Amino acid sequence: MSTMHSISEICNWKGAGILATGLLFTVASTSAHRLERHFTVEPRAVITIHNPNGKVIVKAWTKHEVMVIANHVSDKVEVAAEQTGNRVDLRTQQLADTVAPDDLRADYEVSVPEDAELQIHNDSGEVSVANVLGDMNVETVAAGVALEDAAGYLTVKTVGGSFQCVRCAGRLEVSSISGSFRLLDLRSYHVRAQTSTGNILFDGEFLPNGIYRLKNYSGVIEVRFSPADSFDLNATSLKGAVNNEAKLTPPAHPQRSFSKFGYALGSFNAGRAKVELTSFDGTINIRKRN
Amino acid sequence: MATIGCRDFPNYLEPWLEGDRHPDAVAHARDCPRCRSMVDDLKSIQAAAQEWGRVEGEPSPQLWNSLRAQLVQEGLIHRQHKPRSWFTGWFPAVPRPVLAGGYLAAVIAIAFGLSGPVNQRINRARWLEGTQNSTTTLRAQFASAQMSATSSTFPDSNPIVTASLHKNLDIVDNYITLCEKSVNEEPENELARDYLFEAYQQKADLLSQLSERGGYGR
Repeated sequence: MSTMHSISEICNWKGAGILATGLLFTVASTSAHRLERHFTVEPRAVITIHNPNGKVIVKAWTKHEVMVIANHVSDKVEVAAEQTGNRVDLRTQQLADTVAPDDLRADYEVSVPEDAELQIHNDSGEVSVANVLGDMNVETVAAGVALEDAAGYLTVKTVGGSFQCVRCAGRLEVSSISGSFRLLDLRSYHVRAQTSTGNILFDGEFLPNGIYRLKNYSGVIEVRFSPADSFDLNATSLKGAVNNEAKLTPPAHPQRSFSKFGYALGSFNAGRAKVELTSFDGTINIRKRN
Repeated sequence: MATIGCRDFPNYLEPWLEGDRHPDAVAHARDCPRCRSMVDDLKSIQAAAQEWGRVEGEPSPQLWNSLRAQLVQEGLIHRQHKPRSWFTGWFPAVPRPVLAGGYLAAVIAIAFGLSGPVNQRINRARWLEGTQNSTTTLRAQFASAQMSATSSTFPDSNPIVTASLHKNLDIVDNYITLCEKSVNEEPENELARDYLFEAYQQKADLLSQLSERGGYGR
């Protein structure tokens, strides 16, 4: 209360007037570029998002509708949202020849039906997708990508952005140059993850007949397994170490190893899934899950 | 369930190619893609050898002896512990000149596959040459692509993106240098070569992204 009193003592009417004008101006400039659009769609709608910089958040809901809320501050860009048949295209367009980096920024919040297919291109900023079960393709340069409870055929490509996938199912293919990957509580039958200098953490289920290929150049690949898991393991680090806590049955047929340094080959339990871990000079850890 | 391993499998090949397939060998070939592929290769060689026999002339005894010596040296045949040599029993109905061609192909195919010690040096040289041939062209293309990607530098609309692309290009260049070194040291190492080609692929991808930048969103 004393603070309130002191503030009211400091502020005279004139000061309050300036403050109010300033606030109004700020609110007007941020809300002036708020776009909200609704599109009714059929099952398996395709949503494409093309954004140079900003936050892209996509969530599934139960309506057969796509709702887009886009915000941007600058007058030098605009957000275009169009529907063509069962496809909704969202795009941040540059209106001037030269635009300052901050002016390029646009943030999207998009609600889509669960079975929607997504194609997202966001260079920098971040991409977050939750509960969408359709196929998706995400491409970024520096933006990190986070997927939660996603399914379908998931392809993610970044240059330097990190990637995290929590409780994902279906088929996952992810590649990057320096981005690190965290694949947690996964239930995918096909995982292919490749980065050059990033780390890869896989803490998920090895489904029977599933194929799990994790590859990097340097950095650490860590895979966690439970005693009940069943997989054939081929872990090779050409110039690095392989630390393996899985008790493996050696392969029935001799296999040539490409590494003079670290490798681990063999079956864990019945060897129902296929796990291939490859590194050039990074470390590979195969750890028992706690 | 196979009761024999890859080591014993070649002992069953001779009757196999004559049409007599031992159940253990069949079971093993069913489970082992490598041995199955070897049988397939030998069958192709057998067929090709029969074809060549119609056109090839009789090889000189010197060629014959040197082929045989090479096979012994490779460890693919032994100096008679058995009444018949391992290879001569394969093609009983095929004339000698045909066998000469067949042996030659077999030497190449099997030695290549199993990387026999004698051929190791030849293989290394061949891999090195092959890799160098393909990468020299690639390197030249990349140099020119890199030049045009960096010289046609666009107004820097998103410095975060540009910085990321350049940083990752440096990472890939370093990665290429290390992979090339590794391939030069072990040219026959398939994994090292894979890494090198992947690094080139990544570089191509980055250069293409760099040169496409500038008109973004317009």
